[in-house]
This record gives sequence, structure tokens and C-alpha cells, in this order.
Amino acid sequence: MAEIKQEPMSQKKLEYIRRERTKEMRLQLISFAMMIFLTFIAFGLVALDFDEAFVTPVVLGLAFLQVILQFFYFMHMKDKGHEFIKLMMLVGMFFAISFCVTFVYIVWIGAPI
Amino acid sequence: MAEMEYNVPSERWPSHPETATHEGKNKFYGFWIFLAGETTLFASLFATYLALKDSVPGDDHLLAADLFALELAFVMTMFLLTSSLTSVFAVHHMRNNNFSKMQLWLGITVLLGLGFLSLEIYEFIEYTHLGHTFRSSAFGSAFYFLLGTHGAHVVFGLIWITMLIIRNAKRGLSVYTAAKVHTAALYWHFIDVVWVFIFTIVYLLGVV
Amino acid sequence: MASTAEKKGFWSVIWEYLTTVDHKKIAILYLIAGGIFFLMGGIEAMLIRLQLAIPNNDFLSAGLFNEVLTMHGTTMIFLAAMPLLFAFMNATVPLQIGARDVAFPFLNSLGVWLFIFGGIFLNLSWVMGGAPDAGWTSYASLAIDSPGHGIDFYAIGLQITGFGTLISGINFITTIITMRAPGMTYMRMPLMTWTTLVASVLIVFAFPPLTIGIFLLMFDRMFGSSFFLVETGGNTIIWEHLFWIFGHPEVYILILPAFGIFSEIFSTFSRKRLFGYSAMVFATVLIGFFGFMVWAHHMFTVGLGPTANAIFAIATMAIAVPTGIKIFNWIATVWGGSIEFTTPMLYALAFIPSFVMGGVTGVMQAAAPADYQYHDSYFIVAHFHYVIVGGVVFGLLAGLHYYWPLMFATMLNETLGKISFALFVTGFHVTFLIQHFLGLWGMPRRVFTFLDGQGYNTANLVSTIGAFMMALAVIILLVNIVMTVAQNKRVARDPWGDGRTLEWSLPLPVPYYNFAQTPLIRGLDAYWIEKKENNGQMLPAESLDDFHMPNNSILPFIISAGLFIAGFGALYLASGREWAIEAVSDLPQHPWAIWVLITGLLITFISMGIRSWKDDLGYYVTKEEVLNDLEEQERGGK
Repeated sequence: MAEIKQEPMSQKKLEYIRRERTKEMRLQLISFAMMIFLTFIAFGLVALDFDEAFVTPVVLGLAFLQVILQFFYFMHMKDKGHEFIKLMMLVGMFFAISFCVTFVYIVWIGAPI
Repeated sequence: MAEMEYNVPSERWPSHPETATHEGKNKFYGFWIFLAGETTLFASLFATYLALKDSVPGDDHLLAADLFALELAFVMTMFLLTSSLTSVFAVHHMRNNNFSKMQLWLGITVLLGLGFLSLEIYEFIEYTHLGHTFRSSAFGSAFYFLLGTHGAHVVFGLIWITMLIIRNAKRGLSVYTAAKVHTAALYWHFIDVVWVFIFTIVYLLGVV
Repeated sequence: MASTAEKKGFWSVIWEYLTTVDHKKIAILYLIAGGIFFLMGGIEAMLIRLQLAIPNNDFLSAGLFNEVLTMHGTTMIFLAAMPLLFAFMNATVPLQIGARDVAFPFLNSLGVWLFIFGGIFLNLSWVMGGAPDAGWTSYASLAIDSPGHGIDFYAIGLQITGFGTLISGINFITTIITMRAPGMTYMRMPLMTWTTLVASVLIVFAFPPLTIGIFLLMFDRMFGSSFFLVETGGNTIIWEHLFWIFGHPEVYILILPAFGIFSEIFSTFSRKRLFGYSAMVFATVLIGFFGFMVWAHHMFTVGLGPTANAIFAIATMAIAVPTGIKIFNWIATVWGGSIEFTTPMLYALAFIPSFVMGGVTGVMQAAAPADYQYHDSYFIVAHFHYVIVGGVVFGLLAGLHYYWPLMFATMLNETLGKISFALFVTGFHVTFLIQHFLGLWGMPRRVFTFLDGQGYNTANLVSTIGAFMMALAVIILLVNIVMTVAQNKRVARDPWGDGRTLEWSLPLPVPYYNFAQTPLIRGLDAYWIEKKENNGQMLPAESLDDFHMPNNSILPFIISAGLFIAGFGALYLASGREWAIEAVSDLPQHPWAIWVLITGLLITFISMGIRSWKDDLGYYVTKEEVLNDLEEQERGGK
């Protein structure tokens, strides 16, 4: 189990992999820049006192966008071998949203839907 | 007798060292599944917070809009987001078999995490002086439990990564240690994911 | 067996079990501990039935009755049913998929010790000032007001076992994903493995909400927060939601592995392939997913509003569809098969009508308006005992007889098995069928007694008589177990003669490394295929060579013990403090509590640190040792 089934890499292949990794790093930096940008917009929208009915869904959407970037790029969920993981996280997120929705709407005895 | 082959020579360094061994692969899957469980853990916390966020015993108790300062939340967010990027760097160098750079970026991650943590502690102390405590109201309880659980995750992550830096200092990089570093990095990213929802739902939607 | 079967001293056997990471030994630990808790829960059930045998009985006081009732439910669900299922999952799943151990042997051991320590903690409440008394659901409105430390025992005990369960769930999912033998595709996995996978996914998503719910309760009772204290803005409905978000998937966590056991038994003793295998898999996954979307059907009478009630009612009724698919597939499996009426098969056959009855009353309650009538009556008690006993406990008893040779290499006596089966099934229906009617006649659940002349007398007496028949059945089962262990008559490979799945291809007792060579899987019912198309030997997927096994460790025991100690600190923290809730603020102060809490947590975290710090590389089983074992088996076989 502990053995590594890894053939020695040729210099060429090593260089190729390194190049790919550098490319990947560029992607990571871009996604980081986007995350910062999204954060700025979210805080800006709130700081500039836009209408609540507009800000709430937009800010939530931005959060989900940012989390998708985090999952797919920073946590490499876009790579191969993450199929089951994607399924698990998706199901987890679905449950998470349904918990929050029920707690917002049907915890109060006073105003049930 | 088969030999343990954890310390592989650099020309045979696998392109994904964290999942190169069977144990590493198990760790990788197992930890992701743990994180899936953490989503419903934090979902329950968020749900509780959303249900209780306006519940205070009297009008003299402060609510979200009276308490939160966006500037502080923004700076904290920047600390944590950047630390997420630096742990990406660490994993990048781990895959390139560059031990010293990996250690360096892990160290920077810890420093940024410490920055976040000290700001959070400062924030909590401020609120306590304003009379917003764990015991003052249901809102207070829910707020501190949500933020506190996240903060406890940060503390645990900081101790974990620091221990990894120290324990690996002598051992160097091997497929055995690579799996450990990768798991810690995943954990650290997940803490950031949770924080994204905290700053959105607690802070931004709290003052909007 | 080379190194493990040598005569060992008593203490070295104990030490072996304390430190073991072998899934087969952990299965035995789960079986023993779960079995003991099952007996305790059973005794509590007998006390309940004795108290209710006649009207105006004073055998138990009202307060003690509440404690017994609470502990019966909690023990049976958390400390008996689930661990016993874990016993069978641990015993079978790695063998069914052709693995040498689970993915995380260390965590497997941690899971069992957390469960055992949590269970002991919960049951210590009997001798340390009173057991919890707010029902197994422990609704916050009751639990916050319950004086003394009973509820604290409930909260901390369940928290500790809950961690163990979560860890085991993660472990099983990872094992099934990454450790399958070559050729064992997802659609070739035996149903027991599939149901374990789906139940484990449910555990991973359902236990964290319970953890949070219990933390809220703990914080309110022990640290002075106000999640459920209405006067400071708290809301007790939050507990109900969090508990049932966990609690409903929990019943599927229990029933799905039981479905798995039954599926194996039906196809083995009908000598037929499981009918509609892919539909069975699909139904399992569907039940798992729907199981999460229905929790509020336990709360129809809370006042969620008609829209919410309607949504949850429809989702609940939808679950009947995949369950129905399963029932029909089992019937079709047995249909036209060459049936052999062994004890496990008898339990499996008795399960179908019993469980269908429980399912049908479930659909009745899913209709929200009708549920207002059934709510909190004995109808509910009858319903959930029909699904839990008629489904899960039948499954456990069937599994115990079926997998006993796999776990212990001996056979339980079939005659005694059949006697205890007949008594148990009859007793079960005598006890619970009548309770449906008691409920419809108006008897509320959880009352400690009833008055003469309400028309409940005969029915309650009948119910009690049935309960004693079940108790007698369990005693006969125990006699059977003791006799079998004492005789120790060894059986060889494939003791039922009709084993279909991979686990029966192994020599008995199963070597500690399970497979000398990882087998090659050529289809569903892998062993059956080799029996029919080959010489009955699994084809190896690798050449005979050294392989890697994990080291034993005492750390899981210490980590769990640390949490156990910390539990006492947390328990006494709020006693007599002015910020504490009324239920504990009159008790004497315990200034040492905080230090006990810190010490316990330090023990846990330092042991975790040690685990992370040390390189644990495992060891190698050499080719020579395996060859020796194989030769010995050859000689033993002749």
C-alpha cells in the first residue's frame, strides 16, 4: 500500500508538468483577484446604502460565487477524481440551504407560512 | 521485505504527492467527506443564528445594526482570504517538491491567521464592553456560538499547521508528510468558505 | 492462523482488544457493548410494561417512570440498535468489498471507544443523581426545566457517542469508495455494502445538526447561554427542528443496514440472485435522500402552518414509493426460489408483513390533518415499534444468526434459534398490535399510569404479556449464545453452504489480514459466480507478496477517556452558580469542575497531537507467513 507506482520522470515531462503548474498558479491568482473584487463589491453595496431588497439577493449571490471559486480553484474541485466529492458537497449545500430556509420561515409560532 | 518508500527521490516525485499512497488517498477522500459533514454543522449554526438574530429580551439590548463595524469585518476578510491564497502557494510548492518554500508559505499562512484571530478577539472584547455577551440575549448566544465555532476552527487550524511546520522541519518532504500538509490546506480553505458566509450573512446582511 | 491464535493470557487479550484496529475485533467490541446496552434497554422496557400492566399501578413512581422511559428510548436507539448495526457493518463490509481493513483503522477504533465511553457516561446517571427524564427526544421546553443533572448526562453522553458515530460514518464511506477490490464496481457491490454506504452518508449529514442541537442544550444548561430560554429571547422550537433534522434520517440510518442484511439473507436462502438489484440500489439512495426532506412531519402539531405541513406531508408519502419497490423486490426474490427455512430466513420472512404494517401506519400519520388525531397517542408508539422492532430488531436478530459463523467461526443452534424466533415474533405482535387500538381509543403515550374503567385494562395487560414473551425469547437466545460459545464447535468455509457474496469465500476463522491475495471480482455475487463457473476459489488479482497492515494503538482509548473525564467537568460546571438556569442553580457548587473539564480536554487534545506527531507507518505481513497460513488451511481442510 505504501509503494508508489511512479516511474521516474524524464526531464521533458518534468518541465511540462512544471509549466502546467505555473499556468495553474496563474489561474489561482486570477481567482484570488476575483474573490477580492467580489468582496469589494459586496461591502461596497452595503456601505453605499442601496435598497435592502436589491442588496440582499445580490450579496448572497456574490457569496455563493466566491465559494464556488474557492471550492473549484483553491480546493481543486475542478480536477479529476473529485466526482464523489462534488456530489457530497452539492448535497451538503442543498441541505444547508433547506435548513436555513426552514429556520427563517417556520421557527416562529407567530407567523407561520 | 518490501521497503517503505515514503522518501522518494526527486526524479520520482509524483505529480500529486498527497494522493500517491493509498493512505494519502484515503485521507484525501475521508477529509472531504468530513468537510461535507461540516457544511451541515455550520448550516445548523447559521440557521440558529438566522432564527435568533433579532431576539433580545428588551429594547435596551443592542442588535446587529448597532454593533457591527464593516471596516473591521473587511480587514478580517482580507486577512483570511489572503491566508487562503498563501496556503495555495504552499500546496503548489509541495507538488513541486520545494520543501523550504512550502514551509515558508505555511508560516505566512499561520501569521495571517493569527492576524485574523487577534482582530476577532479584539472585536469580541469590544462587544463585551458594550454589554453584548454570550449570556446577555438569545442573539448574543447565537452570535458568539456561530463566530466562536468558526474561531475555534481557526485556532485548531493554526495549532495544526504550526505543528506540521515543526514536525516536518526535521523530516522534510515525503509522500507521507505531503498528505498531511494537503489535508491541513483543505481545512484552511474550508474555514475561509465558512467566513465568506459569515461576513455576508452576519455582517453585511446584519447592517444592510 | 499463525500469530493471533496462540494461547494468550487474560490480560494480553484485554490489551489486544483495547488497542486493536482490526475491523473484525472492533465488530466484536460493538457486538458485546451494543448487546449489553440492548439488554439494559430491554430491562427498562420490561419495567415500563410491568408498570402499565394494571391500572393505577404504583410499581414505579411517576418520576422514575419518566427516567425509565427516557433511558429505554435513548439506550435502544443510540446505544443498542446503531452499535449492533455497526458490528455487522464492520464484520462484513471490508470482507464484502475485498479489503484488508477499513480506510482508517485508527478512527474505527476511536469510534467504538467513543461509543462505549459515551454509553457508560449516559448510564452512570442512574447512580449519580438521577437519569434524564425528558423523553428520548428531550424537547427543550421540558429539558431546560428538568431539575438535577439527568439531562446533562443525556447531552454529554450523546455528544460523545455522536462523535464516534460520525467518525465511523466517514470511515465507511471512504472504505467503500477507495478500498474495493479490482472488478468490484459500484453496481457489483452487495446490498449490505450499498446500504452501509447510504446510511453512512446519512450519518455524515445528520449527526452534525444533532451535535449543534446538543451543544445548544449543553450551553443553556451548563454555560448560561439563552438559546432556549424564552425570557431572554430564546426559542425552543429550534431544538425540535435540529433534533428531527437529525432524528428522521436517524431512523433511516437504522433501517437501511437492516434492509441490507435482509437482502443478503433473502437471496442466500432462496438460492436466487436478488430480484431487481439496480432498482434496490436506486431505492436505497432515494430513501436516503428523501429521508432528509421530511423531518417536520414529527412537528405537524407545532403550528408550522398549512403550507409547510403540506410540503412535508407530501414528501413523507413519497418515501413509501421506494420502500414499496424494495418490499416487492424481496417478495420476487423469494418467489420461485429454492427456499431454506433457517433462523435468519424466518426472521426475514416475518419482517416483510411486520414492516409493511409499520409502514402503512406511517403513511396514515403522514396525512397532516389525521396526524392531529394520532399525535402523542399509543398509535404512534405502536407505529414506531412496528418499524423499529419489526424492521431493525428483526434485522439485527437475523444478522446475528446469519453472520455469527463469520464473526466467531461457530454456528448458533438452529432449534433454539427457531424457538426464540417463534416466541419473539409472536410476543412482538401481541405487544404492539393492540397498542394501535389503545392509541385510537385515546390512551396518550408517556403516561405513567391510567385509571380503571377507561377501557384500557385488558389491552395493556395483553401488551405486557407479549413483552414477557419477547423477554423469554431473548433469554433463550442468550442461552443459545452461551451454549455455542461453550461448545466451540468450529465450522469451515461457507458454513451456510449457499454463500453468494465475497465474505463467505474466506476461511473461518477469517485471518487477521482477511485476504492472502486481493480477489478479482467478476460480477455481482462474486463467490457464487466462482462456485458455478469455476472451482469455487476466488481468482487472485495480485501475486502473493508482502503487504501492509496498520499498527495497534492505545491512543483511541485515551482520547475517548479524555472526553469522558471532561464530560464530568462540564456536567458540574453550572451547579449552584448564580448565572445558571433554575434547574441546577440550587445544587451545591463544585469549584473543581472547571479543572476536570480542562484536564479531560487536555488529555484528548494531547493524545491527538501525539497521534499527529508520530509517524505511524504500519508494518508488513511477509509472504512466508501468508504461505504458512495457507498451508495450514490446506491441511485443516483435509
